Amino acid sequence: MKKTSRIIALLLALMMCLTLCACNKDDTPPSTSTDVNIQDIVESAAPEAEGEGEPETDPEPAEDDLAYVTGNGKLIIGYTVYEPMNYTDENGEFTGFDTELAKAVCEKLGLEPEFVIINWDTKEVALAAKDIDCIWNGMTLNADREANMACTVPYVKNAQVVVVKEGFEYTDTASLIGGVVCAEIGSAGELLIKGDDETEPDANLAQAEYAGKSVQTDCLMEVKANTADAAVLDLTLAKSMTGEGTDYADLVIVDYLAEENYGVAFRQGSNIRDEVNSIFAELLEDGTLQALADKYSLELADTEAAA
Amino acid sequence: MAAIFTRLTNAFILNNIRLFALTLLFSIPLGLIIAFGSMNKWKPFRFLDSKAADGHRHGPKTIRAALASFRPISALVKLFVWIIRGTPLMLQILIIYFGPGLLELAFGWPKGNAGRMPAAVVTFSINYACYFSEIYRGGIQSIPKGQSEAGQVLGMTRSQIFFRVTLLQLVKRIVPPMGNEIITLIKDTALANYISILELIMTAKEYTSAGLIWPLFATAFYFLAFVGILTLLFGWVEKKLNFFRT
Repeated sequence: MKKTSRIIALLLALMMCLTLCACNKDDTPPSTSTDVNIQDIVESAAPEAEGEGEPETDPEPAEDDLAYVTGNGKLIIGYTVYEPMNYTDENGEFTGFDTELAKAVCEKLGLEPEFVIINWDTKEVALAAKDIDCIWNGMTLNADREANMACTVPYVKNAQVVVVKEGFEYTDTASLIGGVVCAEIGSAGELLIKGDDETEPDANLAQAEYAGKSVQTDCLMEVKANTADAAVLDLTLAKSMTGEGTDYADLVIVDYLAEENYGVAFRQGSNIRDEVNSIFAELLEDGTLQALADKYSLELADTEAAA
Repeated sequence: MAAIFTRLTNAFILNNIRLFALTLLFSIPLGLIIAFGSMNKWKPFRFLDSKAADGHRHGPKTIRAALASFRPISALVKLFVWIIRGTPLMLQILIIYFGPGLLELAFGWPKGNAGRMPAAVVTFSINYACYFSEIYRGGIQSIPKGQSEAGQVLGMTRSQIFFRVTLLQLVKRIVPPMGNEIITLIKDTALANYISILELIMTAKEYTSAGLIWPLFATAFYFLAFVGILTLLFGWVEKKLNFFRT
């Protein structure tokens, strides 16, 4: 019995070491904290070296990330197919708001952009493992992400919307009490339904049965197939995927919930983030950003938030 | 960390192991029915085969002769097995779960979590029954024909021959290939996350999307431990069934 548990403990310790090595280069021993709070564990495991769960506000970059990327000559951008941010148009051309913006920024950085499709669930792993150099895909900024990655200032504004099937009687979120509501796991929509340590969920949505999906478009499938009553997802996506001429013509956007901002995420401690921030300011000043936003009918983030 | 392991363990027992157990419960007998279906020898057009009765078996193959040896039940079951074994299980889960709603059929799964596990059990049971049926068929056909002929001479009925002569030897022979499939099954239960069953890997991914990487990789130990237990179990069963040895 004792022997078995010792072996198990050894294996777990090995796992911890392996995962920590993936995050940073220093061989800091894993935190010995026995705290069960997920948030604390997340914060203590992901950033660079630190003592006894004391979160450091500004961790030192492990190395010069810009020099590393410049050495490669290209910026590897992780994305998922997500209209209108990154998608292939009717002519077979890869385009979208984020695609065009990333190209413009890379030009200013003197780097060649390389777009690679990632699994949204494991994007943080891919970023930490240097599989990709940034996540640039209409990513909602939140405290978790800003603590674990180097996120830029917000550049586009978004909202979470409620989508139901035509004919569903919806007045406000109270109509969904006792119903089934879908959202993408880890998304801002999920946060509205489930909440977390810092965020209170929507009081009505919290009383609905929640079904987590791994992609947003699957939420629409659930609503269409009548296996769920409503989906909570990004306005930008819902706008382009529902309504006339789409496969989801019988789905309608009925409510606008929390507003949020999109940002780009670089590796923890990366110095590219600041470069990109100043390029964003330049592009905002010369009107490039506004022109792009008009083209894809998006709304830019508030400038106060950007400053 | 303890809290994470508790949650992962619960997800594994409540979803992966439950789906695994229910699938075995339904697919093992269903597989036997499918196996009998694919071995069915019913030839409704046998009367057309006049030449065979006359002993001219080496004549040119005609449509008439082909029709005479046509076995509709066997053909239908084999077609079904081909479709099920020939398409990804992940796709079958999506079709079974979303199909009724998307096609607006009268039948539909109950909304939300109530319908997910039943849909998964139905899909997995059908899928695995098809694989099992082929293992059963191989096992049944490997038993010398002389045994059933001897049974017939003794005046036993066909079901008596199956249950009293064939079955015991069948069980013994199919243990290794069944073990293979059953081990695959526990790992395939992860596919249930396509219809939002909060199984082990999906639960672990929640932590990963919050920035914590290790739980996703730690799931390997659950599968490894479970397969370890299964392997020991199959070893034990094989030993217990080690009768009729010469």
